[in-house]
Amino acid sequence: MNFEEYEDADGVRLAWNCFPSSKVEATRAVVPVSALYTPLREKQDLRVLQYEPVTCRASCRAVLNPFCQVIPREKVWVCPFCKEKNQLPSHYRDISQNSLPFELESAASTVEYELSRPASHPPVFVFVVDLCQDEENLAALRDALIVVVSLLPSNALVGLVTFGAMAQVYELGYDKCSKTYVFRGSTDYTSKQINDMLGLGSAQTVAQPVNGPSAAPVPAPTSALERFLVPAEKCEFQITQAIESLRPDPWEVPAEHRPARCTGVAMSIAISMLGRLIPNTGARIMLFAAGAPTEGPGMVVGRALREPLRSHHDIESDTASHHGKATKFYDSLAKRVSSNGHAVDIFVGCYDQVGLHEMQNLANYTGGVIVLNDAFTTSIFKQSLQRVFAIDDQGSMIMGFNATFDVFTAEELKVSGVIGTCISNQRKTRHVSDTQIGAGGTSQWRVCSITPSHTFGVYFELTQAGQNTQQQFHQNGQFPSTVIQFLTHYQHSSGANRLRVTTVIRSLVPGGDPALAKSFDQEAAAVLMSRIAVYKVEKDESSSSDLLKWSDRMLIKLCQRFADYRKGDPQSFRLAQNFALYPQFMYHLRRSQFMNVFNNSPDETAFYRHTLNREDLTNTMIMIQPTLMSFKLDEEPEPVLLDSVSLQPDCILLLDTFFHILIWHGSTIAQWRKAGYQDQPEYANLKALLEAPRAEAALLLVDRFPLPRFIDTDEGASQARFLLSKLNPTGTHKRTPGLGQGGIVLTDDVNLQAFMKHLQEVAVKTTA
Amino acid sequence: GGYPASGPAANPNSPGMASPYSGAAPAAAPFGAPAPSASQHNASFNDLQTVDMIQSMPPPVNDLDLPPPPLAVPIEQTITRSEYAQASPDYFRSTLNVIPSSPSLLKKSKLPLALVVRPFIGLRDSDEQIPLIEDMCIARCRRCRAYINPFAQYTKGDYRWQCNICGCANDVPQNFDWDVQSSKTKNRWERSELNYGIVDYVANSDYLARPPQPPTYVFLIDVSVNAVHNGMVNCVAETLRQTLHSLPNSDNCTRVAFIAVDGALNYFQFPLPNPLKPDERQDARMLVVSDLEDPFLPTNSGTLVNLTECMPVIERFLESLPSLFANTYSSNSAMGSALKASLGLVKSIGGKVVCITSSLPSVGLGKLQPRDERKHLGQKSEHQLLQPANNFYKSFAVDCNKAQVTVDMFLVSNNYQDVATLSNLPKYTAGSTFFYPGWSAKKHSDSLKLQAELGGHLSQELGFEGMFRARATTGLHPSQFSGHFFVRSSDLMTFPTVSRHHSYVIELNLDETIKKPYVTIQGAFLYTSSHTERRIRVMTMQVPVSDQLSAVYASADQQAIAMWFAHTASEKALQSGFDAAHELINTRIAEIFKVFRTDVLNVHTGTSSTLSLSSNLMLLPLLAYALKKNVGLRRNNQILSDIRANALDLLQTLPMPNLIKLLYPEFYALHELPDEAGLPDENGNIVLPQRLNLTGEVLQSHGLYLLDDGQVMFIWVGNDVVPNLLMDAFGVETLDEIPSGKYEMPVAEDRELNCRIRNLINASRQRNDTVYFPSLYFVHQNCDQSLKLWVAALLVEDRSESDPTYYQYLTTIRDNLAAK
Ligand SMILES: [Zn+2]
Ligand SMILES: [Zn+2]
Repeated sequence: MNFEEYEDADGVRLAWNCFPSSKVEATRAVVPVSALYTPLREKQDLRVLQYEPVTCRASCRAVLNPFCQVIPREKVWVCPFCKEKNQLPSHYRDISQNSLPFELESAASTVEYELSRPASHPPVFVFVVDLCQDEENLAALRDALIVVVSLLPSNALVGLVTFGAMAQVYELGYDKCSKTYVFRGSTDYTSKQINDMLGLGSAQTVAQPVNGPSAAPVPAPTSALERFLVPAEKCEFQITQAIESLRPDPWEVPAEHRPARCTGVAMSIAISMLGRLIPNTGARIMLFAAGAPTEGPGMVVGRALREPLRSHHDIESDTASHHGKATKFYDSLAKRVSSNGHAVDIFVGCYDQVGLHEMQNLANYTGGVIVLNDAFTTSIFKQSLQRVFAIDDQGSMIMGFNATFDVFTAEELKVSGVIGTCISNQRKTRHVSDTQIGAGGTSQWRVCSITPSHTFGVYFELTQAGQNTQQQFHQNGQFPSTVIQFLTHYQHSSGANRLRVTTVIRSLVPGGDPALAKSFDQEAAAVLMSRIAVYKVEKDESSSSDLLKWSDRMLIKLCQRFADYRKGDPQSFRLAQNFALYPQFMYHLRRSQFMNVFNNSPDETAFYRHTLNREDLTNTMIMIQPTLMSFKLDEEPEPVLLDSVSLQPDCILLLDTFFHILIWHGSTIAQWRKAGYQDQPEYANLKALLEAPRAEAALLLVDRFPLPRFIDTDEGASQARFLLSKLNPTGTHKRTPGLGQGGIVLTDDVNLQAFMKHLQEVAVKTTA
Repeated sequence: GGYPASGPAANPNSPGMASPYSGAAPAAAPFGAPAPSASQHNASFNDLQTVDMIQSMPPPVNDLDLPPPPLAVPIEQTITRSEYAQASPDYFRSTLNVIPSSPSLLKKSKLPLALVVRPFIGLRDSDEQIPLIEDMCIARCRRCRAYINPFAQYTKGDYRWQCNICGCANDVPQNFDWDVQSSKTKNRWERSELNYGIVDYVANSDYLARPPQPPTYVFLIDVSVNAVHNGMVNCVAETLRQTLHSLPNSDNCTRVAFIAVDGALNYFQFPLPNPLKPDERQDARMLVVSDLEDPFLPTNSGTLVNLTECMPVIERFLESLPSLFANTYSSNSAMGSALKASLGLVKSIGGKVVCITSSLPSVGLGKLQPRDERKHLGQKSEHQLLQPANNFYKSFAVDCNKAQVTVDMFLVSNNYQDVATLSNLPKYTAGSTFFYPGWSAKKHSDSLKLQAELGGHLSQELGFEGMFRARATTGLHPSQFSGHFFVRSSDLMTFPTVSRHHSYVIELNLDETIKKPYVTIQGAFLYTSSHTERRIRVMTMQVPVSDQLSAVYASADQQAIAMWFAHTASEKALQSGFDAAHELINTRIAEIFKVFRTDVLNVHTGTSSTLSLSSNLMLLPLLAYALKKNVGLRRNNQILSDIRANALDLLQTLPMPNLIKLLYPEFYALHELPDEAGLPDENGNIVLPQRLNLTGEVLQSHGLYLLDDGQVMFIWVGNDVVPNLLMDAFGVETLDEIPSGKYEMPVAEDRELNCRIRNLINASRQRNDTVYFPSLYFVHQNCDQSLKLWVAALLVEDRSESDPTYYQYLTTIRDNLAAK
């Protein structure tokens, strides 16, 4: 099987498809033993079993899988993780090699169970709408939300919170008139206060009339849940009316000031309310932000316009006065909302920053999405929003809720951590390694919203046991193997609780065996290493320049370990095919907006990094190394090098960076187009040429989320800089890179050729 | 007519009751005739007429309708010889219509010197006829700021006038003789301020601290479980809806806001009609604020709206209001926070906050707890129950005054409501408290009363940003103020808004000997009318001065003195308890008798079988005695503190006719009505029959009676009424067909007596000077004991649990005097 086939079968891509058998060997391999796992990856032949899984004893909980040893004679199965024997359940007593339950068949390395206990509530969506925006933008948002309501399954529950100078919660279940609860924008309400004020405190729900027995009987209070969350089918009129009645915040904005905007309070309210109403059942809180919070807890900037929004520089130099406090506030909200099992999505409709950098963990910790738009009037926003609610063949929304994600390892491996849009569930089991990468110290994570593209980087550590296993089994001439199981419990949008079980088995190879190098998946490795890099810089573990040094050092070490060369002879440097592209990936990564914040706002950086941490391998590879297609008259379109040599006057280039799709017309084509030749019948081929990249771009957009920004530009036009910044500047490097201590120091604008040259020089020179 | 007794047991006096009356009472000789004109009187004082109180039993209670002794000021004292130079006593009167010339004489007289002020006698401007001066030419003394008046003197060829308050000489204003509109010379002697004791001025901008503000009303409506279940919400919403069109709104600028209050503040936002789609239906939106400790406004628009512009949506809102909270389960009331919030809503405008509640504020600011009444009732400490339980209500009243906000309280309770604490806000913000104990919408008459009083109160024409200052000739100055208002800068009474059904008492201090024959007392009331016009009402009276006690006594005003007693004793009760209040009344009345005997009549020796007083004061002891028996002051351990607090509030606010009626209710025999009684006279006023004395002695078992104190009315049906009386009065054949207790008069259009009785009842309810709507109770043999006791307590001349009969009261005073 090649790596893609593994991925199709199990949603798993491993940096190494064989594992070094010792801790020392693993360290020498530089790229850690790690996996990119996409739990809900679409799988055509996925079997959904309508019965409960057979699990190992309570202290283990591993699920019966094809890699378990079954001893029919003894009516037991042996758990590959804890090595304990388990009695087969009574209805499995009659199995034989010819009549195995599905989960024991080899095709069942990934299988899904529909559990008998359904979710207690249908999925919940709460819209949190910024009212500090002009009527045009708000009108577009209203229209988009009304479309969303129509897309929801009829039983989905909907809630509405709005904010401006104050925050308002709509009691949508109240049908006598429009009714909202209003909260002051400047107060940091506790959860208890919020729920008391909404009449959700325990005291109020059991309130009795004070008059004596003569009083008329009091009707039971409407269920608290029904007051604020109403089924999409029942409330279409009410919620539609509520959405349609949304108007720009009426409070006066003094000249030279920003409007008062209490995003933090609104989010705190939505989170507290859902935490009280539907803890541990699927919900998405969808924030629609049109500007930066300027009021109350979580404010990111003051109201006076003379105070600018913080830049990366301000944050790094610790002069962003609200940044630390706001980040702390939103982080604590993020922890709260994730512990409730609810996700936060952030949709931005604003040219300027909205404090996304401060609030990013609301989405990062919960599996929510971030969509950055210049306005809600853009079709990018509308389509991205609708894409969230896409449905599958069965008519179910393509999203899961309130998921937990477990990693089980046999004794040879322990899990160091996960990097992805999730949060640790603090489950410290025997699978947990002492060393941490990403969210570690646990073997269970929480992902409150999960889609088929949510992908997690899982990092492992080899234990001493690997070596023992190696010695024990080496005699029979076969590499021993080890098993990893991924268990993903989630609430399906149909309301069922489901468990996806993926079990993978891989060989443990002894030190020096070439099988290890051959098992290297350079794409998976690049993605997994880029996640580590982003994690390091996000967690302030390294500065940008330190990170570049680290990245270079890791690359050099990898090359020293796996390249073929003679010491001191750069010319002799050769990389095997499955390593050959890796340095190039690293080259583009270190130039990318993920590493390089220059020219990006903190909000943009947060958005890019969030997306990198969420998407699967294919998409991430586009982000790291954008694709470039060239279109010429009377020629088939072809992929070309991401290099300035590809800029030809007679071609059209189509660049896909994942976030942007850019069509660039070479100067000749641009002139023709300007002159309007394409409209003349005799130049139909030009017309076809002009249309071809657009058709290709449309194909790229089909599955893309969020929708990329589309740029149509010509050679020499200002927008062309988006393209130029991604290209390898062949022949344009300005300085000779110098050698730094312990690695090479390269400037950002060095070209790929120089980068490779120095990599080779350093790799053959330095002793590892 | 007259109905015979139904059987042989027709003796009106049941044997068990000893009659205090022996023989026919001598005709009292009060100044029954209308006041003689000043020209006839010419500087002589009123004659002293002495009566023997004991011999005059029973007291001639129909004299309660007589005017006070006239002010004996010759018409020559006025420059214009106007017979209207004195302010009408309906508005402005003194307890003493002859002022003692020295502080020692005043002290010796034991009579109080106080003004009784009633700025308005009707609920609407149309009820009053006061000359209006519109030319903005307002002549005032440059030293003491008194207003020119008919008693001022003119010097230097009438170019100057001498202030009759401070004596300062002032220039006559330039435009005094000039009609700006017609550009012609005007005859100054025709100017109203020189001819009338009461005039209204239209004030210029000098009298404005800020431009007149629109009339503004914030309605705080309790919508908690209590208020929903007793039907208050329904009743109030319906009443407000009906009243919207009669709120003062002549310039279409009146603004209103509504906050429904339970455990939270439920604001209502009213959208303006969409000018593009004027027919589009707009509905109110509810905004709930639960942040009670520091309540805030949830929006900056649409909560306080122009009544006219938003009328349709407000009407629809009030129609729907009961349904909005029909299923409520909130038993809390955040009324304190709601009050604070409403102040925030109107603090830049001022206006009226009308709080209608069925609950004790239980959460948020100013929350109250039921007090342990049982521990205090009937004890020395009882009056502590009447003091505010929470400081919020003191400091908040001060905030309201600063912002020109009045608070009215409608306490519609079936439980303890701490009237004492809540009524504190109206008391210090010139507002009113209306109290409805045991109210339930299930009782038709309860709904009727709340609707009538709430509607009536809101429909009256209001004054805004009122100020009153009294000035008097040097030697006299105001010292104590009593009533509902806030005193600023020691002698300025201020009224954020003016309730037109209130009166005030101002005590005057005499601190030097007055050498002049007359003093002038002037009150000026500055306010903004409902028409957002600044007005000044100036009331002036000229009072003779005498060094003779007999002159002072002969001109004392018994009703004004009774009113002073009511205010002073109520305050005493609140501060020091009921014993102290009774002591004050007893001592003062005894002293008055003593002074009259020893210093006016100069009787110093021997026993006497007489108890003398001047005829103009002969009902004062009765009113004082009745005051002691009023619910506000009565010694009794059964009176709940809410009832008590409300009664004391009435004693300190009611205008004189209403107060006198409360102290000494009107009592009529319906079975022997004179021919004209109960029918309209030539002016359309219902003719009242003669009053009966308030004693069980007059009750005949075959009789039918009406007892009315202005707050409640009773129809008392004797045990032995004949069937045709029942038929004529009620259209029923037997007593069993008349329910007892609170009940409306049945209508029998074909029975003349029934119509006349209903006329009498309606006449009492539909007065244009009060908004109180007395409930009607039916009392007969089948009714419960507490109702019988209630009526018995109103028969004030009879013995009660703690007090002897009025006759015994007088004889005890007589005997005590004789013993000295
Ligand atoms: Zn196991
Ligand atoms: Zn003067």
